[in-house]
Amino acid sequence: MKLSRRDQEMLDGRHGAPLRRAMEGLVTLGKAYGAADMVDIGYAHIHAGMAMYKDDVELMEELADAGATMAVPASANIANADLVNWRDTGAPEPLARLQQRAAGAHHRMGSASAFTCTPYWAGHWPTWNMHMVSIESTVTIFCNSVLGARSNRDGFFAVYAGMTGRYPRFGYHLDETRRGTHLVRVETMPENISDFSALGYHVGKSVGGGVAVFDGFARRPTLDELDSLGAALGTSGGISMFIVPGVTPPYATVEDCFPQGRPNDAIVADATGIAETYASFSDATDVFDLVHIGCPHASFEEMKDYARLLHGKKVKDGVELWITTSRSVRNMAVEAGYITVMERAGAKIISDTCPMSCHFARTASPDPKLGVTPPTLRGIVLDSAKQAKYVRDMVRCPTLLTSTEKAIETAISGRFVPRFG
Amino acid sequence: MSGARTIQGRGLVAGRVEGTALVSQEPVSFLGDVDITTGAIMGELPSMKGKRLGGSILVFPGSMGSAGAWRFIYQLFKHGTHPLALIAQTLPDPSVVQGAILAGIPVICEPDENVLKTIENGDRLSIDGTKGTIAVLG
Repeated sequence: MKLSRRDQEMLDGRHGAPLRRAMEGLVTLGKAYGAADMVDIGYAHIHAGMAMYKDDVELMEELADAGATMAVPASANIANADLVNWRDTGAPEPLARLQQRAAGAHHRMGSASAFTCTPYWAGHWPTWNMHMVSIESTVTIFCNSVLGARSNRDGFFAVYAGMTGRYPRFGYHLDETRRGTHLVRVETMPENISDFSALGYHVGKSVGGGVAVFDGFARRPTLDELDSLGAALGTSGGISMFIVPGVTPPYATVEDCFPQGRPNDAIVADATGIAETYASFSDATDVFDLVHIGCPHASFEEMKDYARLLHGKKVKDGVELWITTSRSVRNMAVEAGYITVMERAGAKIISDTCPMSCHFARTASPDPKLGVTPPTLRGIVLDSAKQAKYVRDMVRCPTLLTSTEKAIETAISGRFVPRFG
Repeated sequence: MSGARTIQGRGLVAGRVEGTALVSQEPVSFLGDVDITTGAIMGELPSMKGKRLGGSILVFPGSMGSAGAWRFIYQLFKHGTHPLALIAQTLPDPSVVQGAILAGIPVICEPDENVLKTIENGDRLSIDGTKGTIAVLG
């Protein structure tokens, strides 16, 4: 593997112990995947340090203590507790206090402690051809597929890449990986953001780790719709990138996506596939304790929409409505008056975390001294296939999947309103 | 180590370790497959049903595209329930390699024979993650 002079200096320890450790890790990774050299990255979406996992916040604190800093603009991924409004979620105080320590580590390292799965709505907006890293698959997919940046689905080493500003050239950093492998024929135009999620989940099951090319959207999907589609594709499949010709840079046509020729077969994305996803995440129950919207973390436009739907309404007694968004978007929504409307309706606005990421998760491994006891939930109503899949796997309670509008109707009426019928 | 049979693979993560083989015939995702605090197999891995990962050398076909695998491998390490080494028939996902580097667990992949058939549960193995060698001690 060819290293620059500075890469070699970092590897030799001439720039301190943290950078040596980071470069050693990146070189080992690069050799494993046959990388020819390293690329300069322009952005890193990195590990938060998660309070629900033993010694995980400490992992970030150790780096900060050792003097590690971010060489490029960096944001932190979603965390395990709302750092400010944790009482609203029922999280035990020691868990929230531990999670707050991660923010301190990020401040010292110079990364924006965004604690969100949608850092782009908070202003982190990489552009075409920019190499970057991301620990969150939703971010990888959005940046590859909507912005034209170049990112793999990374793990912890996104932190090492952020520290060194370097990453081995393999996977989606190479042109030859950024090509269509599967053609998707869209026969039913999704009607709302949740439908895009349902469609993405359906398609992802057939694409595995490939690149899906979508042909046939009746109009250009909005940024929120593309975000929802990508998050779901990455949940049911191992996808890092999808292509919508005319939207994803630099692909203008379906032919551009398949230099070896258009595949003979296409995956059909139609009303049946969308309905199947809703059905598969709607358990045979109509009992629920919580309605959740805002997965991935809501954009300002989505917050505007929620405020419109909740204006003058009241969430039913005995039901909780959680709206999850990043703290940055929350602050914008405060300025716009949306938070007042939502809170007046009885909604809880939660940042830094979400149902599957918070103390509800039963598959995590928090330090016993934090006193985390996941609550027993009878069911959660959701508008996102991604959240539904992980609530089922990690929170292990029944799910009811519907559209955003009907999830809000559900919270107001206290009775589950399905997407269809 | 005279008399031991040696299998050659590709060393991905350095380190030398001796231990007992635990063979999975199914790909492993780590996320959801294993209980972190006990190392007990939980997921749909029939060939390892009832087994525990801790202290074994895990021999497996490859991983299943889970970006969160690194966190679970690191958590197993933090709870002392981690495998001593990983031997993967095919190149595992980057997240698995990142978790192994972080936890200091040696990894070998692409051995020159089908170890899923030639290595059995309970075989004593001595592996070198730098050289990529797997010695079957019997």
